Amino acid sequence: MTVVNPMLEVTALGKTYSSGSEKVHAVKEVSFTASSGEFIAIVGPSGSGKTTLLAMLGALLTPSQGEIQVNNQQIERLSAKKRTNYRKKNVGYVFQSNNLVPFLTAKENLLLISTIGGVKKNIAQNRATQLLEELGLSERANALATELSGGERQRIAIGRALMNRPDLILVDEPTAALDSERGERVVRSLIKEVKQRNVLGIMVTHDLAMANKADRVLEMKDGFLNELQESNN
Amino acid sequence: MLALKELIRRRLQFSLIALVITLIAYLILMINGLGVGLNQLAGSALWKLGGNAIAYAEEAEISIIRSELGIEALNALKNQPEIDHVAALGYLAVNIGGEAEGTNLRSAALLSLNLDEQTTIEMPKIIAGRTLQSDNPEILASTEFLKDSGLSIGDEVLIQIRLGEWPFTIVGEVEAGMFFFQPTIFVDQLIWQDLKYGERVATTPIASVVLLSADNFEKLEIEGIDIVSKKEAFANIEGVAGQQSTVAALRVFGYLIGALVVGAFFYVLTLQKEAQLGVLKAIGASSTYLFFQVMTQTILISLIGIAVSVPLAWGTAEGLSKLPTRVPVAFEVETFVTTSIILVVMGIIGSLLSGSRIARVDPIIALGQQQ
Repeated sequence: MTVVNPMLEVTALGKTYSSGSEKVHAVKEVSFTASSGEFIAIVGPSGSGKTTLLAMLGALLTPSQGEIQVNNQQIERLSAKKRTNYRKKNVGYVFQSNNLVPFLTAKENLLLISTIGGVKKNIAQNRATQLLEELGLSERANALATELSGGERQRIAIGRALMNRPDLILVDEPTAALDSERGERVVRSLIKEVKQRNVLGIMVTHDLAMANKADRVLEMKDGFLNELQESNN
Repeated sequence: MLALKELIRRRLQFSLIALVITLIAYLILMINGLGVGLNQLAGSALWKLGGNAIAYAEEAEISIIRSELGIEALNALKNQPEIDHVAALGYLAVNIGGEAEGTNLRSAALLSLNLDEQTTIEMPKIIAGRTLQSDNPEILASTEFLKDSGLSIGDEVLIQIRLGEWPFTIVGEVEAGMFFFQPTIFVDQLIWQDLKYGERVATTPIASVVLLSADNFEKLEIEGIDIVSKKEAFANIEGVAGQQSTVAALRVFGYLIGALVVGAFFYVLTLQKEAQLGVLKAIGASSTYLFFQVMTQTILISLIGIAVSVPLAWGTAEGLSKLPTRVPVAFEVETFVTTSIILVVMGIIGSLLSGSRIARVDPIIALGQQQ
């Protein structure tokens, strides 16, 4: 699928790891484009390279070859400091196991990312309150992360990813630790946030049922990427 | 702030670290207190006396035990324009006991005062009783001597020297401190000559050393005389150098162990939090930001440890001072301040280990991490 004026443009992306004397090609010649407001699912078996791809899009890994352009900015060869800045300003991550800071409350977990991003305190407070409301967690604002249920934690993780208004939301297996009902709710709220805020969401998942809720489903197999489905919804 | 919130919400964990740091800080403070206490025992009398330099007989090699100066040497010193004031000071180690039957003998550092000398060099301050009368068998006893011996003003004592016993009366109490690890007592210079040499002739030395108040004394060259600062004189008191180097070695090891323990604790904490640090890096936290959090925690925990250990050490010293046996632990404000600063600095140095670990945490672990 070709997107007009894409927000994300990935060209011939590859990642090769060295394992002893062997070379492992985790991602091979991956090219695709995506625009704001899209929610894309990447599926594939374990070891297919989908998490590696996600890590490269989020500047957690440097590609071995190819290009990644986000809002016309080349990110694949940024220095470590610039990659940190890119993640801070442009990317919102939702991790597999939510990875909230356990000794912070739900609201403090949201505020933390604003502190890191250097957002003014009052602006951050308002934003956190608003997100907690939208995520239906206002009453749990002062609960410690360890006191939240799995679903609540995952919603806070989504809120954290949205706190600094990123252009790109990267989601890694968000439903792996949840039952199907909670998983579905989490994916629905993710899609809602992506649409409402007109940002690009990319989700890596094993779960085909969850993937089918996305606008497009891409499949990773042996490091290659294929388009499976378009505009399901 | 992340660091403060973690400290508060994980208070049990951090309290245990603070406890260990408190104990280390306490140990180091006590070692420093021992150093100060031993210094006081070695020669607080020297510091309490006036003057800024001390003249020794050249052949004595800055040893007050071996130094003997005659009237010519004193006059030679008086005639130097750079020297404002002089005071002859004799030293003799003696055994002293009460007149009463069965009174235990105590050792003391006997120092002489020249009562005829018009000097502005500060001499021991009399805090009770009266001063000495020239050529009279009287002594001024330091507070430490009276406390140790249980004697008081008006008591008769016997000074044992050269196989004989000399009766004396304690006529006053002076704030004089210790010398050569012994409490001090003072006698008239003429009496000191009698005690030490058994005679008073023209060639009898009049002092062991001469206290000086002089500018640029380093440039003075007088035949047969060595002039050194009080600091150098103190360092040359027999036994002081060895004692101070032992205390200094203990202190350095204390600081090093402190730094290692603080460093190890925060390093282990950092290792435990590696997953969390990876996530924070993945969401945009820089290594500097994360290291700043560890540094803040290290400084706060070190300060808490110091805040608890300082009154603890001070209280211990107070308690020890009330014991009948002398335990040489003493504190000065400077000891607390320098020890506290060094402990915080050592804590910071220790936390650098965590800093290097934080710098090496790869944010990619956030994508494969289960918490």
